[in-house]
Amino acid sequence: MKPIIQTEALTKVYGANGTAVHALRGIDFTVSRGEFVALIGPSGSGKSTLMAILGCLDLPTAGTYTLDGHQVQGLAGGELARIRNEKVGFVFQSYNLLPKASIARNVELPMLYAGVGRKERRERAMALLEKVGIADKADKLPGTLSGGQRQRVAVARALANEPALLLADEPTGALDSKTGAEVLDLFRELHQQGNTLLLVTHDPSIAAQAQRRVEIRDGLIAVTEGVA
Amino acid sequence: MIASGAFRERLFGAWVEIRENLGRSVLQALGVLLGVASVLGGFSISDSQRKRSDELYVKLGGLDKLNVQPRAAIKDGQPTALQQANLGLRDADATGGEALKADAIQGVSRQRNARSRVVSAYADQDRQISGIGGDFIPANGYGIAQGRGFSNTEMETGAPVVVLGTEAANTFFPKGDALGQSIRIGDVPVTVIGTFEERVFRFRENQGNQFWWRNRIIAVPANLVQRRMNGDAYRRVDRVTFRIPDLNLMSGFADQLQNLLKSNHRLQDDFRLDDVAARVRKRRSQGDVYNIIFMLSGVLALVGGGIVNVNIQMASLKERVREVGVKMAIGASGREIFKGFMTEALLLTALGGFAGLVLGVGFSWIITSSIGIPLYMTPASFVWAYGLAGVFGFVFALYPAWKASRLSPMEALRYE
Repeated sequence: MKPIIQTEALTKVYGANGTAVHALRGIDFTVSRGEFVALIGPSGSGKSTLMAILGCLDLPTAGTYTLDGHQVQGLAGGELARIRNEKVGFVFQSYNLLPKASIARNVELPMLYAGVGRKERRERAMALLEKVGIADKADKLPGTLSGGQRQRVAVARALANEPALLLADEPTGALDSKTGAEVLDLFRELHQQGNTLLLVTHDPSIAAQAQRRVEIRDGLIAVTEGVA
Repeated sequence: MIASGAFRERLFGAWVEIRENLGRSVLQALGVLLGVASVLGGFSISDSQRKRSDELYVKLGGLDKLNVQPRAAIKDGQPTALQQANLGLRDADATGGEALKADAIQGVSRQRNARSRVVSAYADQDRQISGIGGDFIPANGYGIAQGRGFSNTEMETGAPVVVLGTEAANTFFPKGDALGQSIRIGDVPVTVIGTFEERVFRFRENQGNQFWWRNRIIAVPANLVQRRMNGDAYRRVDRVTFRIPDLNLMSGFADQLQNLLKSNHRLQDDFRLDDVAARVRKRRSQGDVYNIIFMLSGVLALVGGGIVNVNIQMASLKERVREVGVKMAIGASGREIFKGFMTEALLLTALGGFAGLVLGVGFSWIITSSIGIPLYMTPASFVWAYGLAGVFGFVFALYPAWKASRLSPMEALRYE
């Protein structure tokens, strides 16, 4: 399978010489198309940094990163934004929906930045909301929805531009176990439909749902278990 | 412009943002609103005032006049015999002046006044008599109401005929039957051949008629005054008016006339030129000073409002860091964020500016109607007021928008 994520000797250093913090110390990491990978590790391990770089929110200090065939290292801010827009779908722990925009508009927003026309945006947003099971809330504001519903909106938004990679950062962290399980079911479903998923968590029971678990410790990949 | 989809979307987003933060938005718009209202109000009030005084000059018979009047040349002590003999403006000055620019001058009028006892069947008063020549009547904005004006022959021969202003007609012929009647001016019996239209001008609505004295006119041919009432050997006149419709030629003519009269008067400065248009221009340039002051106060309001806006936006940016982070995470570039913030600020400026125009119109209307002059607004005032607001709105939006666009998406997402 063609890799979606391929990194070589990825390092990230924060700060200047004297007080430099080496968040990543040389990560070689590959995720193939259609995989469901969990990224685990205690806080401070560098998994958030890795997630930020894999999600093109940040650039590595050294090393190479190829996302779905695109070289990411060395890109300028505007190009990075375009890659994020086209290739990555984020699902955050705290949903990160825009509180003043309707559900439908939240889902439409990534398509808006991609330059999709108004009518098509609306149709695709409605189809996605249908898919995650909350099409009836399209005109509501995020504040009126429950946590589980909000996370479904976030998933719909993440899928808006049919990204190569779905990146979920503790997606069930703010949910009770029942709704958390429902959201995980949704992720599994998406995986079965062929999406590539990278799930960042510190919870082993959630990580257990993935095909493959990669543990980060002190900026290095410590353990990999499961099928590659 | 609205046709572009991306722009429309940004506009919509900006509108949502403004609506959802109404309090903050109103505060931001307030600076713009007051600035625009102050520029527009200031301009309009000064335009109204100016328009009104221009109307006054038009009613006085137009701007295209150069008046020459005699003036005492002696500064100190007793006049010499030469000075005394020369004092005064004469018929020769009028004809000499006219010859200087015969093609440009459209009319010359002379005036020779007298003070005399005027007697009719109804009244007997001591009155000012205006001896008029040339095109005095149109040049001074008079019109004939009844009867007729003087014929050329009457002017030339100094015929004993008179035209009365409304007040004079009412005084000497209270029954309104002045035409054809005879009155006595000094010991000269003259026939009433016409009456003037009533002259009315109020600078402000509630003021008295500033032209009331013009209705007191008792006009006879200048030659009649010179020959039979108040003449002298030099054929002196009290005022000569040259009318030159092409105002560009006026100042050149004034210089030439000055030289001619000076040599005519053996180098005595016993006359005074009064260029009405120059006077109006001067007054206008004073008006421009007021406009600059009004513009400055508006600009200060806009700058103050702009600084307040920057503060508000910087404070609100703190609340919106996360929103910016989210937008960036889902694919908005820094440029997109910048445009979004700019659109919001400019939309706010546009709305605040529009409200400011409305307020400015109301404000000008209240002021002008309270001082009793008609409101006169020029499109230029609107353009200036709105344009200044736009410029300042744009400039002061740049910094917060730039700040927002430079946020790092990761840090913005983590921002609590």
